[in-house]
Amino acid sequence: MIDFEHVTKVYETKNDENVALEDINLHIEDGEFVFVLGHSGAGKSTFLKLMLLEEKCTEGTVTINGQDITHLKRRKVPYMRRQMGMVFQDFRLIPTMTAYENVAFAMRVTNIPTKQIQKRVPYVLGLVGLGDKMDRVPEELSGGEQQRVALARALAHSPKLIIADEPTGNIDPEMSFEMMELLSAINSVGVTVVVVTHAHELVHRFNKRVVTIDHGRIVSDTAEPYRETGYATAGAE
Amino acid sequence: MHFSSFTYLVRQGLHSLRANKMMTFASMGVLTVCMVLIGVAFLLGVNIDAMVAYMGEQNETVVYLASDLSEEQIAAADAAIRAMPEVVSVTYVSPAEVLQFYSDKLVDSVNLMKAFENDNPFEANYRVVLRDVSQMAAVSEKLRQVEGVTKVLAPLELSNTFVSIQRVVNIACYGLVAVLAIVSMVVVSNTIRITVFARRKEIGIMKLVGATNGFIRFPFFVEGVTSGLIAAAVASGAVCGGYYLVTLWYTENPTTISRLFGGSLVPLQSVWYYVVLGFVALGFVLCGIGTATSIRKHLDV
Repeated sequence: MIDFEHVTKVYETKNDENVALEDINLHIEDGEFVFVLGHSGAGKSTFLKLMLLEEKCTEGTVTINGQDITHLKRRKVPYMRRQMGMVFQDFRLIPTMTAYENVAFAMRVTNIPTKQIQKRVPYVLGLVGLGDKMDRVPEELSGGEQQRVALARALAHSPKLIIADEPTGNIDPEMSFEMMELLSAINSVGVTVVVVTHAHELVHRFNKRVVTIDHGRIVSDTAEPYRETGYATAGAE
Repeated sequence: MHFSSFTYLVRQGLHSLRANKMMTFASMGVLTVCMVLIGVAFLLGVNIDAMVAYMGEQNETVVYLASDLSEEQIAAADAAIRAMPEVVSVTYVSPAEVLQFYSDKLVDSVNLMKAFENDNPFEANYRVVLRDVSQMAAVSEKLRQVEGVTKVLAPLELSNTFVSIQRVVNIACYGLVAVLAIVSMVVVSNTIRITVFARRKEIGIMKLVGATNGFIRFPFFVEGVTSGLIAAAVASGAVCGGYYLVTLWYTENPTTISRLFGGSLVPLQSVWYYVVLGFVALGFVLCGIGTATSIRKHLDV
């Protein structure tokens, strides 16, 4: 599903070079659930941006779904992005639109016919448990609910890959847990899920693979399901 | 693109026009004013051009033939002059006609007239009118080559003046049109830039969910081009209406100078389609370019 091969990303400024990622090798299988853990500044954001095609790596190759995205033509980028769903810490919902409209908007701007949108939007909003709050604007929803709208939006295209950037960063702990459960449920039907986060506690509670990034390198990878001891060893490095 | 997507995008563009009422109004206003000025410059140019052309048509080159030519030689010269493609009209003036012309002016000098009547000193000549004054020098050279022609009097200085006036007027008008076109483009570009800025969050989301650049741009094009076309419609009405009134006034209030230039302006019927089509094309192209240049920056997400 996702392959990083000797990926290095260097940000160049006028008289300075900043190595954000160095020689990253990572393989994520179809249908896996992976936490990417790291402090702020560890290189998580860069890792994410490479997958979202917002940045290109300096060296190495990134492959998603069998497609080498490092050498993807600009005009093909939108079609690549439609194959993945994204969830962000700040939800990125349009405040003037209702939950329904927010999801429908994402489908409309990717050229999906109205009929299909009318069928699909209530369905995905039902999946995340917001079937009865479709006509509320973000302001009238709690943080957790807003994030679920964002998740519904990400699911609207039936992507094979969901990438979540600090999905629980702006919501309270109980809601965070629910959010993770939801992602886990989505994963259980075969969708690959990558959650980028710095929240150790949350990672603790799920028995999933954890890839830890620090100073631009992968310092541990529990390819085996996560164990608390495993994390402790990784953190000690 | 699906039809439902297309209508959605058009609706989005029109909605944005309404949502930014003040901005739209301001930019359309400036655009309309620019177009009106462009129209005025154009019509001014057309009329000055027509006046100069009218003056040019009054040109007259006088060609003298030798006085000892036989009938056949005169006929041959006559035919040669008439055969020239640059020539619009040729009038033969016999010595007797010249004398007749001057006899009106010489009524006081009866003696002189009497002497002339017995021995006419005037030569036969041709009054030649050229189609295009700018060719005068070349054509008079050609006329000189005709067998039997002794002298060619061409108002070269006058023709040069006409030609240079025409050139200056053309350059000034086109220059003005170009400057105003650029101004309008900047105005549209700026308005769209503000709209784009106001919607940068939406654009960011569109990019992330995989909307193509074309899809993101489309509503802005609808917005830009619609305001361009509305401005074109208003400007067309203003310019054509105003021009119609000016032509009426001009013919009803003749002056010495206006009579010299033919007495009437170019009628609206023969220029209105240039004005309207020009404005529509201008609105379309300027707004298109203005929109394209203003969105590019925000598409790099």
